[in-house]
This record gives sequence, structure tokens and C-alpha cells, in this order.
Amino acid sequence: MTWVRTRIENLGAGVASVYRAAIELWLVYVGTIAGLFRRGRNSPRGELTRQLYSIGNKSLVFIIVTLGMIGMVMTYEACMQLSRVTGDYSQVGMQFLRLIISDMGPTLTALMLATRVGAGIAAEVGSMKVTEQIDALRMSGVLPIDYLIVPRFLASWIMTLMLSVIGATVMYAAGGLTAQYNFGVNPNTFFDLSQIRPRHVILFLVKASSYGAAIPVVAGFCGLRARGSSEGVGWATTAAVIGASFAVITLDFIISAAALFLTGGDL
Amino acid sequence: MSEPAVLVRDVFKRYGRRDVLSGVSLALEPGARLGLIGPAATGKSVIAKLICGLEEPDRGDIRVLGEDVVGKREVQLGPLRRRIGMLFQNYALFDFLTVERNVAFPLEQRGGMEADAIAARVAERLKAVGLSGSEQKLTGELSGGMKKRVGIARATVADAELVIYDEPTAGLDPVTTQKIYDLLTADQLRTKATVLAISSDVVALAGFVDEIAFLYQGHIIYRGPAATIADAPDPLVRQFVRGELEGPLEDVRKATGERDG
Repeated sequence: MTWVRTRIENLGAGVASVYRAAIELWLVYVGTIAGLFRRGRNSPRGELTRQLYSIGNKSLVFIIVTLGMIGMVMTYEACMQLSRVTGDYSQVGMQFLRLIISDMGPTLTALMLATRVGAGIAAEVGSMKVTEQIDALRMSGVLPIDYLIVPRFLASWIMTLMLSVIGATVMYAAGGLTAQYNFGVNPNTFFDLSQIRPRHVILFLVKASSYGAAIPVVAGFCGLRARGSSEGVGWATTAAVIGASFAVITLDFIISAAALFLTGGDL
Repeated sequence: MSEPAVLVRDVFKRYGRRDVLSGVSLALEPGARLGLIGPAATGKSVIAKLICGLEEPDRGDIRVLGEDVVGKREVQLGPLRRRIGMLFQNYALFDFLTVERNVAFPLEQRGGMEADAIAARVAERLKAVGLSGSEQKLTGELSGGMKKRVGIARATVADAELVIYDEPTAGLDPVTTQKIYDLLTADQLRTKATVLAISSDVVALAGFVDEIAFLYQGHIIYRGPAATIADAPDPLVRQFVRGELEGPLEDVRKATGERDG
């Protein structure tokens, strides 16, 4: 019976822990939004610029290379399948662009940023947590969320938008070059923007904004929960990569479903 | 009679399945200097953090400088914390800032001081702790003792009404220890701040504080004059202060028992 009781206690503790984590994540999110309006004395000077550089500029090559390669592979695979069925490549570029704008561009960019930026934020905040630097901030009357998360939130939001545009462009261009050189698709046919509607662009912006906001909040939350020593920072970093990636995919699902519902399935 | 600067009443704190504090009560009159001693991992630093509102007790009340600490939100605690100076056990220096900026940080965040005045105050504090010339170093370039002194400079830079020193002289040589305590004494006499000092170096601590409290198994079991702490009537305190292996202290019995076999 003791064995059963222990199991039930452990299960209850697990559920309570998840519930507490969800509440804390929500509080970090709300605190970050509130911090945007409190910006001023609490924010370190020049921190936004530093974060824009760290999150944006330092991710640029990574995003260009990964999204370029994914664009090549996707176009190659699509053309290969079409060559086996109809051999008609006239719709490839158009459909590929719709896919990039409404989904793949921002989502893949955000997934890449979730690994690089998410891990970085969690490691920085986590190491400050375990060395009591966050307590030292609090002792000076500074809100750690305002000081650490808000500049990263703003930088991530701006840079995810910009990198999504760059990533999507590179992905489309790389796909076009692949289609032209491997399957002889006419660039004028591939680079056809005529089917793009404002709703696609709105969907792109909504997704990129949501991902850009979610990554630093999830990563910062994981960093703030770091305990102990370097092992705790390692845990926070891993949790941030998993959590931020999961947040991106979940948001993609929710926003896509909402968009389909709002447009009556005509996306 | 004035309200105590610090009033900790029947505070309980548990981490996981371990009760760290089991009904601790403590009062510090304004301007008092109290030392807190006890075996390792008995919750001395936890008391310091509870007083600052960095941790929340499971039960009990805490009033600091006339304000309730328990149940307040971070935003509400900010103004109170700016009136408290804190030296952390592991320094807690900002590793992304220079020594100068670390010490200036509480003043910059408090606001209301010109940059020149902050720079002068920081220079004075760094000189007092013997770190003139290290202003532009990053904390990663400092030894443990130097970090401790930067921490002391940061804790005292704002002339706080309440100063908490968690192991102020751990890792320092005896001469530097005495210099630091002389400095802290001079500061306290000048500012009339209330001081809570946590230390394992009971002999040096006794020369700095007026009273010493002994924390053991979640309770304050003794509080008495610092000058006579080695002759305290409680055998637990006497054994701890004198560093004797034989005696009623359970922690020592367990440690020596494990070591001997």
C-alpha cells in the first residue's frame, strides 16, 4: 500500500508542479507585457541595441543557410514528384510562395531562432539566477523581468519579423534557382506573385510576431526557474529549446486553424 | 518605544521535505548589530533572504523598517529593498559589469544622484575596501577575496538603513578580516544602520556585533551578548563557538561518527 501511496503522491506532485509552472509562465508573460509600458529607469542603457545585434545580426547567416537549403530541398522534391505525375511545373513557384508566406517562412525561421536564441537567453538568465545575480538585481529594486526579459522580448519580436522576411526571401530564391537549374523551370513562371493576397501577408506577420514574442518569454521563464549550479543552467537551456520549439509549433497550429476558420477555408 | 527595525515572528520555511525554519522569531532594534551563527545549512542565509523578501515564508510574519514583507508583490517590495544593503554569501556580483559599475548599481537604480556624485561615492567605497585601481576590471578578473570586498562596497554604498552581511569575511585572511570589520564598524557608527551579520568566524564576528543569536535545527535557541558568547550558558552554543568535537551538537556527532566509521 505504501508503494501505491507513494506513486499517487508523486503523480499529484507532478500535476501540481506543471500547474505551478503554467501559472509562472503566464506571470512572466504578463510581467513582460507590463514591463513594456514600464520601460525607463529599470532598463539597462543600450541593452536593446545589444540584444538586437545578438538575436538578429548573429542569427542572420544561420537563418540564410538553413532556410536556403530547406527551400532547395522542398522545391527539388516537389518538382521531382510532379515530373513523375504530370510534368507540369507551372504551379510550383506560385504554390511554394503561398506555402512560404502563410507558414514555412516564419515557422522555420522561428524554429531555428528557438534553438539559437532560446538557448542563449535561458543560459544567460539561468546563470544569473544560480549565481544570485537576479537576487542582487531585486535588492536594488530592479524587476528582473524588466531588466532581462523586456529588452530581449522587444529585440526578438523585431528581429523575428525581419529574419522571417529575409528567410522567406532566401527560401523562395533558393527554390527558384533549384527549379530552374535542375528542372528547367522558367524564372518568370516560378517567381509569380499574382496569387498572393493581403491575408497571406497578414498571416505571415501574425505568425512571425507571435513566435518572436513567445521565444524570449519561454526561454526567460526557463532561465528564471534554474536551480542549483551549472546543472540547473543546463536543464534550463534544454527546457528552453524544447519549450520554445513547442510553443512555435503550437502557435502555428492555433493561428493556422484560426485563419482557416476566419477565411472559411479559403486561404 | 520605537518599532523594531526587523521583526521576524514565528516563521516557518520548508524546502521539499526538509523543514529549514520551524518557528523562528527575531527582533532587531534600530541601530542594533546582531550576529547570527549556527552550523552549516541550518537556514541562516534563508533568514536573510526572508527579511529582504527574496523568499516567501510558509508561515509567519516579517516586518522590516516598518513595512510588512510577507505577501507583497515584487513591485511593492522595490522601495523597501532600496533601503536595505545586502552582501550575498557568494558575492552575486554582476559579471557583465565592471567593478565600478557594480558598486554604482544601487545608487544608479535608486536615482536622484548626479553621475559625478555617484562616481565620487564609488571611488570612496572602493578606496575604503582597498580596491582603488580596480575600477575598470570585470568581476571575472578578481580573486574571491576581492569579489567579497566589491560586494561589501556595493552593500554599503547607499548608506542603507538596514545592512545584511552574509559571511562578510569568508575567504579573507585575518588581517583583511580585521580591516573589513573595522570598516563595517566605522560605517555603522556613522550611519547608525541596523546590522545583521551572518558568519562562521565567531571570534571576529564577536568583535563587530553587540549580540549573537544561535540558530539550530530551525530555531533560535540562544541570544546573548557577543562579548561572552564563548561562555554562554547553553552547552550547544559553547561547543559550537569553541569548536569542540565532544558535546551535544548533533551535526558534529553525525559528522565525526561518519568519519570514524
